[in-house]
Amino acid sequence: MSLNKNMRIVIVDDYTTMLRILRNLLRQLDLNNVEEANDGDAAYHLMQKSPPDLIISDWNMAPVTGLDLLRNVRSNPRLKHIPFIMVTAESKTENVIVAKQAGVSNYIVKPFNADTLRAKIASVCPATV
Amino acid sequence: MSQAGTLQLPDAHGYLDRVIGELRSLNTPQKNTLVSVLEYLSDHIRATRNEIGALRRDGAGNQMFSSTTDELEEIVTETARATNRIMDAAETVENVASTVGEPIVANVLMTAVTNIYEASAFQDITGQRITKIVRSLQSLEEKLASLASAFGPLDGAASAEAVREGDAALLNGPQLEKTASSQTDIDALFASLE
Repeated sequence: MSLNKNMRIVIVDDYTTMLRILRNLLRQLDLNNVEEANDGDAAYHLMQKSPPDLIISDWNMAPVTGLDLLRNVRSNPRLKHIPFIMVTAESKTENVIVAKQAGVSNYIVKPFNADTLRAKIASVCPATV
Repeated sequence: MSQAGTLQLPDAHGYLDRVIGELRSLNTPQKNTLVSVLEYLSDHIRATRNEIGALRRDGAGNQMFSSTTDELEEIVTETARATNRIMDAAETVENVASTVGEPIVANVLMTAVTNIYEASAFQDITGQRITKIVRSLQSLEEKLASLASAFGPLDGAASAEAVREGDAALLNGPQLEKTASSQTDIDALFASLE
């Protein structure tokens, strides 16, 4: 399975170290078209200018959380089709259920590895596999 | 007992002592039991006030909770800094790996770099856990402050923890960055002592 190397990905996390980890792991998957945001609000503004092909977001951020961002994305006709992967340390059952009900495409629990990241991207971007 | 209706916690200890005094002056067979119970309550209130006062300050007289939360936040800062240095090194190795002619060696290096990236996520996890602890401590501190306020001024409520003296008072662990002396400061101080 190969991924679309040109897909534009927005990664969202309030920890700059995690953004760096994600960017590096994506680079190793040969995915280099990556933009970063530090919270849901900044990410939403970023993707309103130009809708990305994939969103990878943390949950626990302020002031706009990853779940808020997911709901905003899913209620926006221009963005609602975009695959959205939640990458978070929130691993309780109710978290996953709420995220799923809000329309998350897949869910990665921190800490994660490169294989998991690759598999989840491939699963939510079937046209590129 | 009209006084009891408006009794405030700061007054409770003194009020009980007055009741005990009045009971002792009575000539009834039950007074000794009542006096014992009230003395116990009075002592308990005094001890509780002291313990609350002690909980809010450490042995060096510092505000214990704010000091502890500062230390925890410093851990987050230090681990983030260390993680970024590890990432710097890993990125350097990754760049070199891409120039290595031998594919097996390049793959081994790239796998090692990937492992470093994956492992570096610990900083995010520990950071979130510590932040959670800091919030709990702050909440506990607020509740204690509220309780201490209900007990009135804690003057004379000395710390139950022994005040550290001598060499023990020198053991405070790493300083917080905002108050720490730099190596230059230390060198200058050292030179001034010669």
